[in-house]
Amino acid sequence: MSDTPNVNEFNLGPISCHAFNQDRTELAICFNTNVVSIFRKSGAGWTQAWTLEEHDKPVTSVDWAPKSNRIVTCSQDRNAYVWTFNPASQQWKPTLVLLRINRAATFVRWSPEEDKFAVASGSRCISVCYFEEDSDWWVGKHIKKPIRSTVLSLDWHPNNVLLAAGCADMKARVFSAFIKGVDKKPAPSPWGEKLPFNTVCGEFSSGTGGWVHSIAFSPNGDALAFTGHDSTITFVNPASGLVQSIRAPYLPYVSILWLNENQVVAAGHDCAPHLFENKDQQWAFSSSLDSAVKKADVGFTAMDTFRRMDSRAQSTASNDTEVHTRHQNTINSIRAFSGSRDHVTEYSTSGIDGKLIIWSTGNIVKGLHNLRL
Amino acid sequence: MATTCDVDPDLVTKIETFRFAKRSQGNAALICKIDKNKLLIEEEVEQDSITMEELAESLPDNTPRYVVLSFELKHDDGRLSYPLVFLYYAPSGVKPELNMLYASAKTYFQQKVGLGKVFDVQDAESLTEDWMRSMLLK
Repeated sequence: MSDTPNVNEFNLGPISCHAFNQDRTELAICFNTNVVSIFRKSGAGWTQAWTLEEHDKPVTSVDWAPKSNRIVTCSQDRNAYVWTFNPASQQWKPTLVLLRINRAATFVRWSPEEDKFAVASGSRCISVCYFEEDSDWWVGKHIKKPIRSTVLSLDWHPNNVLLAAGCADMKARVFSAFIKGVDKKPAPSPWGEKLPFNTVCGEFSSGTGGWVHSIAFSPNGDALAFTGHDSTITFVNPASGLVQSIRAPYLPYVSILWLNENQVVAAGHDCAPHLFENKDQQWAFSSSLDSAVKKADVGFTAMDTFRRMDSRAQSTASNDTEVHTRHQNTINSIRAFSGSRDHVTEYSTSGIDGKLIIWSTGNIVKGLHNLRL
Repeated sequence: MATTCDVDPDLVTKIETFRFAKRSQGNAALICKIDKNKLLIEEEVEQDSITMEELAESLPDNTPRYVVLSFELKHDDGRLSYPLVFLYYAPSGVKPELNMLYASAKTYFQQKVGLGKVFDVQDAESLTEDWMRSMLLK
């Protein structure tokens, strides 16, 4: 595993969402279109293998269940499809799931046991869908109260019952998505004991208020982190009652990932992943994980200066059209790539610049003293 | 009349006794389902002296049902009558196949058993005493 990030440029448009399969040989990716492309790893690059075409509007989110190898996609067309792979015909077969929402679906994630998935939507509800054997049909149950606006992101707790939701009404909530017949009674957790469907186990805010763009449970599920459009990142620990909001002097973060119980990577409109660490029960910003890569100076000779003035009317060698980070535009998704849930060793980021970059966490401990903002 | 399903003859007799049973108080309901494999309308469960809320609780939310209900109706002038009502319960989010199956057999069932008053219910939450009363006294 190399320390320099592995940059994959597809040049097919901005990436709205991506998901890898279990052994990371296949990648499901959407370039802001109605179609999800599946690429297969070949050598150092990726070749397109399949296209999943069913949605009528842009696909907003995709998730790949590692064990059961099923893909779920959701789109602005208010539908979700579950895709199962048929090894005999080597084709992906879609199954429509009626979400019964009247606005776009924004985010979808499989539960840890992969027997349910939750879809966040603009119709102020979360649709928790499970498969009913006797009717051979995916049924959706709605979590409605007390959501007041679009649900922007979701994360499942490792116990397969609790669901965290970040919402545009500036609140982060933890719900119980317990489905009778599918789930067994969960073990008591710091979030609550008796948990019928749609119970609100906690409602949190960053204090200053801002759409909650992303939310994630810690590896063991006992803590919660969420980021807001007010450039804050908030850490919640229900057992100790700690709610710590950090106001970062950077642009808002849109996606977060827990590397382990004490480190969180957040990325967003600043185009680089930032590391937050927990030292002595205090969370704080550590550093940016993208060592500013200064591009080789572009032509400072006299010849180049005059050429630039002639063809591009640029009187100075201003190369401020390029951002000094690997991603050239907002990063909108971070996903764990390798390692375990409580010790992530590599993670992948995708952004509006159309790049998918796989970063290694090996350099975090070593290189932190080298990194500068 | 053409139909997709048959009615279980036991159910027909059961409904007859249900209709003419002497009621002193409370509502009673007979919930019927369709067996997909046998294509037969048969009894699922009979409930005596229940409230509308209890009936709403016992209805499944992932499949349609036919409910033959004997409702305790208090008229404005103080009289008590027990009209026999047919509720066609069809929640949303159900597999379309099931919806079609129940919808196609509905009129046949109605005719066979002789049920005049029929109401469509979209979700169990709307099944309340007040709602039923307002539907019957219109």
